[in-house]
Amino acid sequence: MPPFKDEQIIIIAPGSETTVAQLGLPESFTPARTRVRSRMFPAEKEGEWEPYKVRRRQENTATKTGEAQNGAPGAERAAGEDEDEEIAYEEDRVSEEGAVWPLQEGKIVNWSCFFALITHVYNTMNPPFHTPILLIAQPAWTPREHEKLTQFFFEKFKTPAFGLMDAALATCWAYGVHTSTVVDVGKDKVDVTAISEFIPHTQGRVVALPGCGGEALTQGLLSKLRSKGLNRDMCEQLKKNVICEMLPVGVSLPGIGNLSDQDLVTNPAAAASTGALGSGPAAASAIGNAPRGPGADTEVGDDINGEDNDGVLDVASIVAGGRMEEYLAKIDRQKQDKAVAIKKGPAALAAQAKAMKLPNSKREKASFMYEDHALLDTLKGMNLGKQGMADAQAALDEGPQKKGQDGTDGTDGEPKSVVEAVEPGSATSRAGSIRREIEVGPERFQAGSGGVLEKIADAVHRTISSVSEVNKRSELWDALIICGNGSRVRGFKDALLSTIQAKYMISPSSATIFTSEIPSNISTPTGTGANTPQPQLGPHGGSSQVNPLLLAATTAQNPHLMHPGSNPLVNLSSHSSHSSHGQTPTSIKLVKTPEYFPEWKDVGFDESAFLGAQVAAKVIFVVDQGQSKGYMTRPDYNDQGPTGIHDYSL
Amino acid sequence: MNIPNSSTAPNAGEYAGDEVSAIVLDPGYSTTRAGFAGEDVPKSVCPSFYGQIDKDSSSHYLFGENAIHDPLGNLQIKNPWGSDGIVENWDTATKVWEYAITSRLTGSRPSHPAKNGLNDANTNGNGESVDVDMEGLENLENTEKPLGDSPLLMTEPGWNSVKAREKYIEIAMEEWGTPAFYVQKTGVLAAFASGKASGIVIDVGASHTSITPVLDGMVLRKGVQKSPLAGNFVSNQIRLIFKQAQPEIPLTPHYLVKSKTQVDAGTPAQATYRTYDIPPLDSFRRNEEERVLTEFKESVVEVWSGNGRFSNAANEEMAARLPGRPFEMPDGWNQLFGAERYRAAEGLFDAGAALHDADNPKPKDEHTIPRLIQAAVQQVDADQRPLLLSNIVVTGGSTLLYKFNERLNNELNVIYPSTRNKLIAPGPLVERKYAAWIGGSILASLGSFHQLWISRKEYEEHGTNIVEKRCR
Repeated sequence: MPPFKDEQIIIIAPGSETTVAQLGLPESFTPARTRVRSRMFPAEKEGEWEPYKVRRRQENTATKTGEAQNGAPGAERAAGEDEDEEIAYEEDRVSEEGAVWPLQEGKIVNWSCFFALITHVYNTMNPPFHTPILLIAQPAWTPREHEKLTQFFFEKFKTPAFGLMDAALATCWAYGVHTSTVVDVGKDKVDVTAISEFIPHTQGRVVALPGCGGEALTQGLLSKLRSKGLNRDMCEQLKKNVICEMLPVGVSLPGIGNLSDQDLVTNPAAAASTGALGSGPAAASAIGNAPRGPGADTEVGDDINGEDNDGVLDVASIVAGGRMEEYLAKIDRQKQDKAVAIKKGPAALAAQAKAMKLPNSKREKASFMYEDHALLDTLKGMNLGKQGMADAQAALDEGPQKKGQDGTDGTDGEPKSVVEAVEPGSATSRAGSIRREIEVGPERFQAGSGGVLEKIADAVHRTISSVSEVNKRSELWDALIICGNGSRVRGFKDALLSTIQAKYMISPSSATIFTSEIPSNISTPTGTGANTPQPQLGPHGGSSQVNPLLLAATTAQNPHLMHPGSNPLVNLSSHSSHSSHGQTPTSIKLVKTPEYFPEWKDVGFDESAFLGAQVAAKVIFVVDQGQSKGYMTRPDYNDQGPTGIHDYSL
Repeated sequence: MNIPNSSTAPNAGEYAGDEVSAIVLDPGYSTTRAGFAGEDVPKSVCPSFYGQIDKDSSSHYLFGENAIHDPLGNLQIKNPWGSDGIVENWDTATKVWEYAITSRLTGSRPSHPAKNGLNDANTNGNGESVDVDMEGLENLENTEKPLGDSPLLMTEPGWNSVKAREKYIEIAMEEWGTPAFYVQKTGVLAAFASGKASGIVIDVGASHTSITPVLDGMVLRKGVQKSPLAGNFVSNQIRLIFKQAQPEIPLTPHYLVKSKTQVDAGTPAQATYRTYDIPPLDSFRRNEEERVLTEFKESVVEVWSGNGRFSNAANEEMAARLPGRPFEMPDGWNQLFGAERYRAAEGLFDAGAALHDADNPKPKDEHTIPRLIQAAVQQVDADQRPLLLSNIVVTGGSTLLYKFNERLNNELNVIYPSTRNKLIAPGPLVERKYAAWIGGSILASLGSFHQLWISRKEYEEHGTNIVEKRCR
């Protein structure tokens, strides 16, 4: 009889941006059901925290329009009734102004806020008693912090059992591999961990490499697009859109094919200037750019650009400035212009349709729907009446009529993000939001222009080079796992892999084959000083008529040339075939994603640490009945105190 | 799961230890090791190098692996250790060590107890709360010191000066606020790690090679030998090999290469290079080059372990016939290294075989490892020598050079043909690299060790020179 049942287990995985959690393990493992933004708002009293922003409502409008002012039902909450009946508060579930993010770069920077967040997550799940908790630990957390967390969980939630699991290790479990290099791309940081035989190499592990996560990508976009009037929020949404893509090394940006070999990083000026070429004649001849229609169309394009620079993208300030009518009139005019243009040139329309069919990476321009929170906030701040609010929203929202176009953009078969799939109430479908269409040029491919990929590639190289068992390294290079929500940007993984390969792959030396009979990585033993026996050539049997040494001499240094299974040397145990102390990597591969989790397949394996935690929770809490000491029980805690956790964590 | 591994601490009571959660700090030239006593590997291994950016007459310091490999403009890489194997720059050494402790062990300085959410359980019941209270009066916000509740065991090289030792305890007590302190020599600890109370410890590190005779857990101070022929010396030898090759072999570190193209062996590299608007300074480049050299040491360099020395003409010929090993530079240049690969480490054993030029003078003969061992053994009573020679503990990262132990064994048998010479070189690499730390971890978790700690009270009563009386 296992001590716990599947449906009792709680898994919490805190992240800098999103904290995911789940109560109970389903029959087939699913992505986390509870998703909470990792932020809290300071409450009235210092040291206390609220999960949503609490706005103090103006007294005069409070009584009349309060109910409908935002979409969140039941947000009304009266506080401080004893002092003043007139002061009312409401919760704003959308706004994040003034939020405190307790996790930064994976480190816990504000403990009371973090504890409040965990408490909020815990209460959201509304668990019964007798629920064991498995917490996914960020690599940046120190042993002392593990103790602190242990103390918190036992004393606050009175949990009967508590386990800590390293995020990288959990990812390993999810993929079902014992040896791998896990590259976890988070919000502000990247962790790179070499794991061999389920043991993370703590020495030389790259923990919380700053400036490399999803936020850096947003900033990369922002640095390219700021001159066009886009702000951070727009770039963040652009990054999450399918039109934003990272291209592998050597793939040129559409519209600037002539620059294909040039360095994106060292030529920001060139790249930026080519963006301006967009409406000029030069770009028209470039790859993938459909020729534009007669004069009118280009005029419209230029017009929009000009307006962008004047700050039309910042509708919020226009509205705040009371010039909303004016702005709406202008928009109307533009729409009419566009319609005229389309009528004028059916050729242009056809060309546009053709451009739509091109893959995103070949199209020079693409547009996406932007959800303008700032505008919404401004409108709320203006204290319009219920009707006024709805009118303004309807007038400003460009969403619905452009929906069709947006749809064609999204037909690339990209899996919907977990956020959208799991939490219907978030992101795009949030009620009451105002959407506007924004068109961007090739800058959308330059999210990594800040050198993010190079930095991560270097971190991977450092991590694997610091594994002192030289013979394990090639195995680690062959088992890269790139995960984390920062890597969700389209094309990120391939781009990173190709960056690593371009820079670190050791190609077969032309010197070896002709000067030595056997490649040295087979004949010479390990760097440990222990003599590794020459591989026994027994098992190859009659499967191949080729002299194995000759075959090895020609192919051993570039194993990708070998047909899997056809080479006798490959069939030797992995131990002896990796006994070289030659240079690594001679090949670099990603680990194949696991295939038997249908629910995860749909959303991608970016949060595979959570999947791994589900697998691990099943094993440590249920299957092996506590034999493996994968968790600490309440009596253990009473005996040993918080420091005992080190004996139990995975 | 329950397989004891590097991240699980041994069970309480395994070392007869009671829970004091002491921290063991083993600072070295290349890396600084820190971890909790009782564990089998240091959880925190940080580079001792640090970055410095001078801007507007003030210096900005950067610590940790991530920072020192980030090619920032005007970044220079420095090391607090002096060329004599004693800490030179105390301010930054303190910061480097503190970083090693706080980044991976204790976490950054906790916020004020009233705010950290644990005030209800803020037990400080080990009797050491006195100093916290006293300090607390002055500045409530900033008094939580990194080691407020952990005793600290530090290691020191065998030749550490009295001044340096006193500085150690001063830093630990004043800056870090540790309740108890002890300092022990690396040699003794490395012997402990191998389970020996007596023996000769040969420690080949990055900046120095040291030979420490240990008898019954005590260092024979006059027998301690050190020389600068160690890992960095081998690196410089490799640089010389590159420089003296025809044509000269270019050494381009990774950060300057954008992507490389495959080229034939020996032909010039055809890589695309990166340029920086404000490049880091030369010391950064040198540190990055060291990464390439480390790779070269791991995959190409071999210590000659045949008959006699490598410089014998017959041996060179024999080496030339052995299969060479290929090496590819970050920029794609590649070549097969034949007999040269034996030359890089030969200088450790044979001063005459070392390469030299104007910047790298010829090493002195008495600095080679065999001479050092001889000199060390010479200082020991004749009747103790066989005991020591049968317990020769080999430790330090540079002993991982391929075939190092075979060669050392050969050399020893030439010098001492009549005794039973036994090398003790742990197989697991972590034990070889971190032997001194592991010894410290064992020592600090021994129940009987607790009487040796220098407590804060004693320090306050006697001052810094108590370390000279208590830690021998």
